[in-house]
Amino acid sequence: MGGKSDVWQGTLALMVLKTLEMIGPQHGYGLARRIEQTSGEQLQLNYGTLYPALLKLEQEGYIRSRWGTSDNNRKAKFYELTKAGQRQAHKAAQEWEQTTAILARFLAPAEEA
Amino acid sequence: MRKLRALLIRIANLFRRQRADDEFRAELESHIDLHTEDGIRAGLSREEARRLALIHLGGAEQTRQSHRDRAILPSLEAVLQDIRFALRMMARNPGFTAVAVLTLAIGIGASATAFNWINAVLLQPLGGVADPSHLAVVETVTGGGDLVPNSYPDFQDFRDHLKLFDGVAVTRPVAFSVGREEHSERVWGELVSGNFFSVLGVQPEAGRIFLPAEYGDAPGKYPIVVISDRYWRSHFGANPAIVGKTLRINQHELTIVGVAAPAFHGSLPATAFDLWIPYMQQPVLNGVQPWMLRDRHNRNMLGIARIKQGVTIEQARQELKALADRMAVANADVSLGMSATLLPLAESPHGPQGLLAGPLHILMGVSLLVLLIVCANVANLLMARATNREKEFSARLALGAGRGRLMRQVLTESLLLAICGAGLGIMATPALSRSLKLLMPPGPTQLMVADSTGTNYTVLAFTAGVCVLAALAAGLLPALQVSRLSLSARLNDGGRSGVAGRRHNRLRTALVAVEVALALVTLVGAGLFARGFQQTMRIDPGFDPNHVLLSQLYLATNGYSLAQRKEFCRRLQERMEAEPGVQGFAYSDGVPLGFEPSWWEELHIEGYAPQPHENMNIFRNVISPGYLPLMHIPIVEGRNFTEDDNESQEIGSMIVNEAFVHRFFAGTNPIGKKVHGWGSWFRIVGVAKDSKYHYLNEPATPYFYVPFRQIYREDMNLAIYVRTQGSPDSILSTLRTQARAIDPNVTIFDAAPLKEFIGASLYPQKVAASVMAVMGGIAILLAAVGLYSVMAYWVAQRTQEIGVRMALGAQPKHVLRMVVWHGLAVTATGMALGIICALALARAIAGVSYTNSAMGTRAGLLGGSTTDPLIYLVATVFLGSIALLACWIPARRAATVDPMQALRAE
Repeated sequence: MGGKSDVWQGTLALMVLKTLEMIGPQHGYGLARRIEQTSGEQLQLNYGTLYPALLKLEQEGYIRSRWGTSDNNRKAKFYELTKAGQRQAHKAAQEWEQTTAILARFLAPAEEA
Repeated sequence: MRKLRALLIRIANLFRRQRADDEFRAELESHIDLHTEDGIRAGLSREEARRLALIHLGGAEQTRQSHRDRAILPSLEAVLQDIRFALRMMARNPGFTAVAVLTLAIGIGASATAFNWINAVLLQPLGGVADPSHLAVVETVTGGGDLVPNSYPDFQDFRDHLKLFDGVAVTRPVAFSVGREEHSERVWGELVSGNFFSVLGVQPEAGRIFLPAEYGDAPGKYPIVVISDRYWRSHFGANPAIVGKTLRINQHELTIVGVAAPAFHGSLPATAFDLWIPYMQQPVLNGVQPWMLRDRHNRNMLGIARIKQGVTIEQARQELKALADRMAVANADVSLGMSATLLPLAESPHGPQGLLAGPLHILMGVSLLVLLIVCANVANLLMARATNREKEFSARLALGAGRGRLMRQVLTESLLLAICGAGLGIMATPALSRSLKLLMPPGPTQLMVADSTGTNYTVLAFTAGVCVLAALAAGLLPALQVSRLSLSARLNDGGRSGVAGRRHNRLRTALVAVEVALALVTLVGAGLFARGFQQTMRIDPGFDPNHVLLSQLYLATNGYSLAQRKEFCRRLQERMEAEPGVQGFAYSDGVPLGFEPSWWEELHIEGYAPQPHENMNIFRNVISPGYLPLMHIPIVEGRNFTEDDNESQEIGSMIVNEAFVHRFFAGTNPIGKKVHGWGSWFRIVGVAKDSKYHYLNEPATPYFYVPFRQIYREDMNLAIYVRTQGSPDSILSTLRTQARAIDPNVTIFDAAPLKEFIGASLYPQKVAASVMAVMGGIAILLAAVGLYSVMAYWVAQRTQEIGVRMALGAQPKHVLRMVVWHGLAVTATGMALGIICALALARAIAGVSYTNSAMGTRAGLLGGSTTDPLIYLVATVFLGSIALLACWIPARRAATVDPMQALRAE
């Protein structure tokens, strides 16, 4: 299709967790940019939707935040994974792989035959 | 888990919303700055970069809103808003708030107190026992249908033959003298069958309870005692080493084998006992002859049974009744026509709850009536206010508020008022609950009231429930009124305020009429009880209790034999009669109009053929020769007892009362006739005038007296009477000195003027009358407040109309008449309704007797007539004049309206 798709909440949470796992503590803007980059600019986030998702993850105890200074010396709020967040990132990734593997069988039934 | 954590954080955020908002604002700011800088770096102008950053974000305000929705719980926030708004409204109208909260506090406090008492006396049957729902009271039933306690041999049959029970136990409350000589102390305890603890399922806190080896029926065996936790702490400092030591009880050493669980206070609800001793010790401790333990006539044991799991009380009752009926045939000589039945614990006729059940249920009913009046009152106030706030509500509706939201607002307000009222009410309950102690019967029971310590969650839960119900009852009508608000009508009215719809006024008027009706019911109730009490007080007891000192002696607890007890009484009489100021001295087994049970004997009367199943158990007293003269009970025929009516006579002597003669001798002269009882014959030597024996309002009851020296037995009580010239209290020290002079071990524990003591028999009536009087007062006050508020509001609404009328020539007195007539019309409707309800209720209450035990002889709680027109008249006139006053104040305000002022306000 080639178009840029919207992101829905569950996958966004997984992307946030995996991104944070990869690059360590990061502020909201950096995270959003990074997610877009990782998707090969396939995804275009409405940045505003990122913050409620971050807040939900924080309330659930998967990430925590503190104020820090960005590379170019600006005050920004940094998010990082907690221990529970690392476990959750692992678990959610596995579940996602399973789901896509199952879906893949439906999408390419010819190979099976 | 994670979801819960998130929820808690969101709830907590409600209280730090501002800070969270500010923080997110800063975060967004930094986000936009970072994005803008990136844009500048990519070659855009600052403005362009910032514009793109905002677009990319999807709008700063929208982002903040979606963030806020996630940070907190929006629905909860709306509730908090309602509460905050309601609090502001309450603070803005302190007068309204104060009146509403205070009335609610009175209503809720009264019901909470009533429930607290019921809970303490009726609903908390037994603490510290296993599964109390399977426990039931075993009562013997006489041929006449009266409930009486059980005999020990009957208990043995029940214990050995019943299949649907996990055990039957018996108990008898007794006062013991504990300790040595002068230092002895009177302690209440129970003489129990050995299996008592195992049937009740009581665990020991220290040591052990009675063992199966100690369940036997061998008189004089098992010198052991289990003590209460309370006694253990107060007398032994909770020292566990006390187990195995001995305790000196009635001058005999008993071994303490254990301490009962702290929650266990004995087998009578609301009563605390401290000692439990096997019944087989009765011959040792109280000098009772062992044969009395085998006597089926000796019905003085309270029975308690555990029903097997899965067996209904009805099945168990059937089995018990079948067995008892067989026993009655097998032991026809003593038990003919007797049966037995099972009662739920709460319906036991013994102990405080048996005495208080009637008054307490009435109290509960009345406090609910008062609560209803309170709700009507508050509903009225809220509706008046809702009418005043119609413009506010209309504006909110116009701005898009849902009707549900408005109703919720009104209900929130009434709930808040109710919570404040309940808070105040609960604060007052500890003091009111303590007053229960004052209400308890005088004498030992008062000391035995198990003091309930700590917060009572049942009572709190009840209060919370009442609070919510009150809030709903008071808030529902106003809320409905708000929800029916017509938007266009209100706003089109422009500046005119307070022209409330007729419908609202009709509703409020109806509420006030109901209030007046309820107040009248309460008032009539108070009048009926007070009058009943007063009439009972005026009944001549048939003896003269003035100037008589009464003391109960527990000589058996001093280890006296029967002969020693008689000798002690004789010597005490000699000494007391020699004292100056003493006009008479006597002693007896039972005390008239007291709380102690009165006993009876089954009689065979020469020349009288009883009907089949006729109850020949006749109440009696065992008296010294001085008793009848001292009590000023005249002998109408024959002679009084003398010192010659003693053990040496071949045939005993008996004095009967007039009702006895009337029933058994059809009014003919009974002197010289023979009567059989206690296994021997007596000759009637005299007839005494009827007097009152158990309750002042009892009907004439057949009764007889036998001489102390001939029939006094080990298990009987000993009451001493001294008639003096002056105040009976003044002779108490003399009595103490003389008793000590004979035997230093004898302690006179309590003594009271007979006049005070017999007041106890009026106790349930007194409680009912005084409680009703208080409640009646409250109800009137509330109804007056309600009437006043409605009339004042009515006048305020009609100020313009009145102004117009006066401008057109109406005189102030016309206006006054108009307002008063309106108020009185409402009152009259309410009173008519109230009289109908009161008549119906009074008939229902008239059926409530204070006790279902045999002694009550069906004495009614109400006493007097239930249709006494005087009471209804007085209540109506009194309520009417209060209503007149409540109408007159607003009416006067209306009459002084200045027409110019009123019209200008238009």
